[in-house]
Amino acid sequence: MTAFRMLARDWRGGELGVLLAALVIAVAIVAGISAFTSRLQNSLEQESHQFLAADRVLSSSSDFDPAWQQRASSMGLQLARTLSFPSMVYAGEADMYLAAVKAVSAAYPLRGDLVKSAQPFGELDRVSRGPVRGEVWMDSRLFPLLEVEIGDRVTIGKATFEVTAAVRSEPDQSSSFFGFGPRVLMHYEDIPATAVVQPGSRVEYRLLLAGSEVELEKYVEWLEPQLAGGQRLLDVQNSQQNIGQALQRAEQFLLLAGSLGVVLAGIAIALAARRFSERHYDYVAIMKSLGATSATINRLYGSSLLLLGGSATVLGCSLGWAMQASFFSLFAPALPITPGDSGLRPYLVGAATAMVCLLSFAWPPLQRLGKVSPLRVLRRDMPEEGRHTLIDCGIGLAAITLLMLWYSADWKLTLAVLAGLLSSASLAAVCALLLLRGGRLAGMRAGSIWRLALAGLQRRSGANTLQVVIFSMAIMLLLILALVRTSLIEEWQMQLPEGTPNHFLINIAPQEVNQVRESLTRRAVLSQPLYPMVRGRITQVNGAALGRSDDPEESRRERETNLTWSAELPAGNELVAGEWWDGETTEALVSIEEGMAERMQIAVGDSVTYKIGSRELQVTVSSIRELDWESMQPNFFMVFPPAALQGFPATFMTSFHLDSGDKQFLNQFIRQFPTVTVVEMDVVINQVRAIISQVSAAIELVLVVILVAGALVLIAGVQASVDSRLYESAILRALGARRQLILGGLVIEFAALGFFAGLLATIGAEVSVSILQTQVLDMDYTPHPLLWLVGPVVGVLIIGVLGVWNCRQVVSSPPLAVLREL
Amino acid sequence: MIKTENLLKRVPIADGELEILKGIDLEIKGSETVAIVGASGSGKSTLLGLLAGLDEASAGKVWVDGVELGGLDEDARARLRADKVGFVFQSFQLLPSLTALENVMLPLELRGEADAEPLAANFLRRVGLADRVTHYPRQLSGGEQQRVAIARAFAAQPMILFADEPTGNLDTETGAHIADLLFEINREQGTTLVLVTHEQRLAARCDRRLRLHGGELVGSD
Repeated sequence: MTAFRMLARDWRGGELGVLLAALVIAVAIVAGISAFTSRLQNSLEQESHQFLAADRVLSSSSDFDPAWQQRASSMGLQLARTLSFPSMVYAGEADMYLAAVKAVSAAYPLRGDLVKSAQPFGELDRVSRGPVRGEVWMDSRLFPLLEVEIGDRVTIGKATFEVTAAVRSEPDQSSSFFGFGPRVLMHYEDIPATAVVQPGSRVEYRLLLAGSEVELEKYVEWLEPQLAGGQRLLDVQNSQQNIGQALQRAEQFLLLAGSLGVVLAGIAIALAARRFSERHYDYVAIMKSLGATSATINRLYGSSLLLLGGSATVLGCSLGWAMQASFFSLFAPALPITPGDSGLRPYLVGAATAMVCLLSFAWPPLQRLGKVSPLRVLRRDMPEEGRHTLIDCGIGLAAITLLMLWYSADWKLTLAVLAGLLSSASLAAVCALLLLRGGRLAGMRAGSIWRLALAGLQRRSGANTLQVVIFSMAIMLLLILALVRTSLIEEWQMQLPEGTPNHFLINIAPQEVNQVRESLTRRAVLSQPLYPMVRGRITQVNGAALGRSDDPEESRRERETNLTWSAELPAGNELVAGEWWDGETTEALVSIEEGMAERMQIAVGDSVTYKIGSRELQVTVSSIRELDWESMQPNFFMVFPPAALQGFPATFMTSFHLDSGDKQFLNQFIRQFPTVTVVEMDVVINQVRAIISQVSAAIELVLVVILVAGALVLIAGVQASVDSRLYESAILRALGARRQLILGGLVIEFAALGFFAGLLATIGAEVSVSILQTQVLDMDYTPHPLLWLVGPVVGVLIIGVLGVWNCRQVVSSPPLAVLREL
Repeated sequence: MIKTENLLKRVPIADGELEILKGIDLEIKGSETVAIVGASGSGKSTLLGLLAGLDEASAGKVWVDGVELGGLDEDARARLRADKVGFVFQSFQLLPSLTALENVMLPLELRGEADAEPLAANFLRRVGLADRVTHYPRQLSGGEQQRVAIARAFAAQPMILFADEPTGNLDTETGAHIADLLFEINREQGTTLVLVTHEQRLAARCDRRLRLHGGELVGSD
């Protein structure tokens, strides 16, 4: 008999449904998520490279060795150059303003687009090249300040340029905008004509590189040893930490979800294969009595499994492809970027997963079929072949570990999930046994339906314990995913809720504070207080002078930063050490941001000396604060009590939200307060929000797929017990039990299993989520009281419905037919 | 054809061992029909299992067609069964996912017969089920299922046929028909028939009867 014919016969007999479905789901999850994440990663990487305008950037305060560019060109890398410097921009005789000039070469930007508008604050227009020679693009707010319009001429140094557009955003717009004036964008080759860049000028040269990752790595390897102090290489990770962190978390989540999906599918495969194998004991015994050898049996089932694996791979890969393709086609119009290509790898990974799943989950029970005794044909009451549950679990666990390690390439994540799974499984096994015993004792005193149901639970306590463990694992994994997903998305969205301040005002003079507040309040756009800002530099800690190195790698050095004062702890700040002061205090105190305190090795109680202007101020550190740097709120490293900074020259800053339709307000505002600097962050915020919504949607989709895998585990788990339930119910019905009694018993039995599983899942999920969020995903953890209600209820509902549905034949099949067939 | 020498079968029980067969010596010649009779628990089915090589003896020897089974492992015994042995069981033992035709083809396929299908169809015709070849066991009556089992047993043209209570699950009339069919084809093929039964009438149709009591052979007539 060929394997193909046996499979066809088993398929007709309905034996293969769950096994094939579980395999298809495993392959589809792996291929789908893998294709999805690699396409998403490709596109997100493209997107994040846009924040750098390149794949790598070399930054320097002096011009580069020309050999570096030659080397990069000879390696086939794309190159662009920029030069940033502050300079006065003149319009006619009277109007001038200090601007942040950026000269860009013709190839700039290598990644992403420039956004300009034909008129200041006008309609946005994406372009891939900067201004041509002889032209400049200016920040919208410079137009009213210089009283120029499009087509007018402005002067930088010795050269005059025509203003042809308003520059609205650059892909590599730095977040460190403080201290810089409004942007003027010009062509790189116009620099000599201006004659403003002289030796010793405060400038930043950037060499932008793009190309294949392999070549880039080679180039970086060659370049790094030659870098001098003040020269730095930037990549996506260190240039945009906010985006980098969000992306990394999204990737970790998808990997975690994918791995858990495979765990679930693996369990479903193992359960279905075990049931398939147990139902084939009699077949094998008959075949053996008719002369089939163990080798024949193994060959037969082995090739059946291979055929099954082949079909599952084709079906699963197609399903995986369809899932990610339909996601991208549904969401593509809303995505800010074009999804990349996934290549063949995801489908190879899917095929390999199918083989690993078959060998480690399905083959162990099937392989034992070869050892079935032919004597079963005469004695059906012969004990079944040893189930070797422990060995099977061991093999399955090893396979899961390898698969997870392979998918995630992250042993920490793998170990965290495995440790969670193992400890919860063992705990669940012990608790399930105890709960089932307790249930039986309670049932002794109950009515007949309850007694029947709870006796059923007790009688199959071994199998039921296993089922409770499996159900609780499946529910736990789903709860974990749902919780982590919710808090991940909520945390992102909380960072940038609707109405997030998207414009910053800095350099507000003290005498302008009231007028500015009034002007913003009148427009009803002000949501933040006006914060005072004093520029100061730390010079000593505990009397020891700090180095004056400009090297940012040097952690303990003099640094100029913005100081502010406040009577209360600013919103969104959290004390991690020390105490907040009384607002009226006259003591010389300071509260320092956690990261900075760490870098500069400052602790509560230390004395810190600042140089503000030409004066010195010595204060004692009274507290350390944690800030949320990913929020778009004004944040300060150093906060003083109001009295401590009295008498020092301060300017004020604030932030507010302005809808894109209200941009004309800025024209009027800038005319009214020409010395106030307006920084527009709305374009950047919109980009960030687009990425977040894309990743959130991806996570939702992945969760749905995992839910299907979870449901399959539950179905496979329930089906594993259908035969013995059928047999028992047939006997009971033959003895005169009514359908209602048996159905009631089933409902109570499955509901009890569901309740125990839901309860254990809740405990496991709460513990795992706290570990995952604090240790792996680097997020804050808060308990979920609602979960303690949702978990058990979900358990009762899901297991109850699935269990009774899958066992419906128990009450619908005629008892005689059941007794004859079994 | 079949010979045993001091055949013993013990099984472990809670407090020691239970001896099911206590030193059986017998000999069955080629083409002979032999009934093994005895009360429930006398060891009939155990003896049948040992003679057919489905089980291993605790002590003693069994020869089938001159081959001593004790020297063979399970796979070698399976090959011997494929070549020389056929079975008819009380509970029919048809594979539920296979049609009547496929069930009859199974031993032929296991033996690597090229024309398994026409041979099987032929035997189904022989047992009067020509119009039921595509039916599944659940679509057949008990008597019909046993006829498929008889067709399956004889299709492989075994030297020895072991029948374990072949009419035990059938009513008297159907049982009688099945017994007629069994003896008829057996005679045509000249097969050695070893039959385990409770039924005196069925046992009476055999050349010889071996009586088992408490695991011992207490008589032969």
